[in-house]
Amino acid sequence: MATVALIRDTFREAFARKIFWGLFGLSAAMILFFLFLLKIDLVEGGMATLSLFGRTANRITDADYLVRRIYAGIATFLYTWGMFLSVFASAGLIPSVLEPGRIELLVSKPVSRTHILLGRYLGNILVISCNVVFLVLGVWIILGIKSGIWSPSFLISIATTIFIFAVMLAVVAWVGVAFESAALATMISIALMVISALLAQKDTMLRLLSSEWSRNLWRGLYYVLPKIYDVGRITLNAIQDRKFDDYASVWSSALFAAIVLAGALRIFAKRDF
Amino acid sequence: MKIYRSRWTRREVRAVDDISLRVPRGTIFGLLGPNGAGKTTFVKLLLSAVLPTSGTALLFGRDAHDPEARRPIGYLPENHRFPTYFTGSGMLDFYSALSGLDTARRKKLIPEMLDLVGLGQWGSVRIGKYSKGMLQRLGLAQALIHSPQLLILDEPTDGVDPVGRRQIRDILTRFESQGVTIFINSHLLAEVETFCRDLAILHKGKVALSGKMRELTAGKGYRLSVPRAPENLPDNLIEQLRIQATSAATRDGLMDFQFPTRESANQAVDLLRAQHCEIEALAPTTSTLEDVFVRTVEGAAR
Repeated sequence: MATVALIRDTFREAFARKIFWGLFGLSAAMILFFLFLLKIDLVEGGMATLSLFGRTANRITDADYLVRRIYAGIATFLYTWGMFLSVFASAGLIPSVLEPGRIELLVSKPVSRTHILLGRYLGNILVISCNVVFLVLGVWIILGIKSGIWSPSFLISIATTIFIFAVMLAVVAWVGVAFESAALATMISIALMVISALLAQKDTMLRLLSSEWSRNLWRGLYYVLPKIYDVGRITLNAIQDRKFDDYASVWSSALFAAIVLAGALRIFAKRDF
Repeated sequence: MKIYRSRWTRREVRAVDDISLRVPRGTIFGLLGPNGAGKTTFVKLLLSAVLPTSGTALLFGRDAHDPEARRPIGYLPENHRFPTYFTGSGMLDFYSALSGLDTARRKKLIPEMLDLVGLGQWGSVRIGKYSKGMLQRLGLAQALIHSPQLLILDEPTDGVDPVGRRQIRDILTRFESQGVTIFINSHLLAEVETFCRDLAILHKGKVALSGKMRELTAGKGYRLSVPRAPENLPDNLIEQLRIQATSAATRDGLMDFQFPTRESANQAVDLLRAQHCEIEALAPTTSTLEDVFVRTVEGAAR
């Protein structure tokens, strides 16, 4: 009961903030965009373009290729800008609970602090999940109807996007309870995304770095920090039916999130309000 | 014990030190103290919003850190900030769900509680539109909705108009008669004096005084008021009266002498009348809570 109340409270607060309506509005605009393209016959148009360059390909293969490219584009957009906007929108939801005059009443209820923070965390993930499911499912259905190609691999991006958001939100929660700053939480999460992209160029960088300690540092950071970029690559490979077997990126990111979240819970449990 | 330490200088402030209060079940108990006495820290220790530096806070014999120990408690914090996205009903629904009420009971109790605090028409209005007094009454409804055994109220009538105050007082009296123990932390001495049956005064993190309100404010005696004019009250007589009196003060052309017993007051009257001095008034007195408070705090400071 308390868990449901905490999740509902997170939804209430999220939708009281205009930024979440903005996020859903953006997803709706994207769906409408594809709906509009559907009217001008995107797939037919795309295939016509292909044939203009003298390619007389198999109609189904070309349509499939085009649809998968669109899926990959959307997944990339969702995974980068969508993630940024989601973190930006969510960063205030944990520090807001810690406001003086609000937190005293919450912790005075017969609910453990761990339960309170996990309820918020889960609620926040569910809010963003609604948006991700709305966008991905909406685009998938529209493109499926139009092209007749129902590629379920695109739906993997729902899971990977929500997963990486949960990892980032663990960082947001930790910064939120430790410093009560939404701005700092956003900055650190975004920095983590950028650093992850840099660290993922491991093979190239290890060749370029001159000293052994700097190579060890690079490797260490790569293995410790969440592999946001690598999980994104898994998503794209899955969408384009390419082979992928880099499951270590997923479980090591999950481990990172679990440790950071445990740290956040510990700080929250020990704090005076 | 609760010690706050400065992050940089490591200077320590002992906010609460070995407080043990026995609050009789079904009474209204007042907790008083000057600013920084440790009242709020003590209440927060009970509610586990603040964790003890050493020792344990016990509630109904259970460690206050155990969430179950807080189930029979209703709490209204000072300077509360209820999220403004709530409606009155939504706010009660959320906090009562956290207190463990199921959906059916919440549905039944929310309109009843809103009516009880005079907000029956305001349930569907966002609380951002509420006045300070309305928020205070809604906060009280939130604290009462799950029928707590112990109600902890931090400045419950802060910002409430006189009519609202009367309403809150009536509600609290009603719950007191139902056996609910009410713990009030307030700066308003007159209000505590009216509300509370028992009382404790904290000073520098310790209990400086505690007991029944009736007994503590029964600093009884007699005040003898005599016109101050020299032809009526010569200096040597003033000195003699001062020796017998517990205090003497001048006001509006009168001199007031406070005597602890009826005998000493009668002796003073005899002395004055023997010298044909006029007497303005002789009246029995009781200590106000303010007298008790000031005396206790000043005494503890010495």
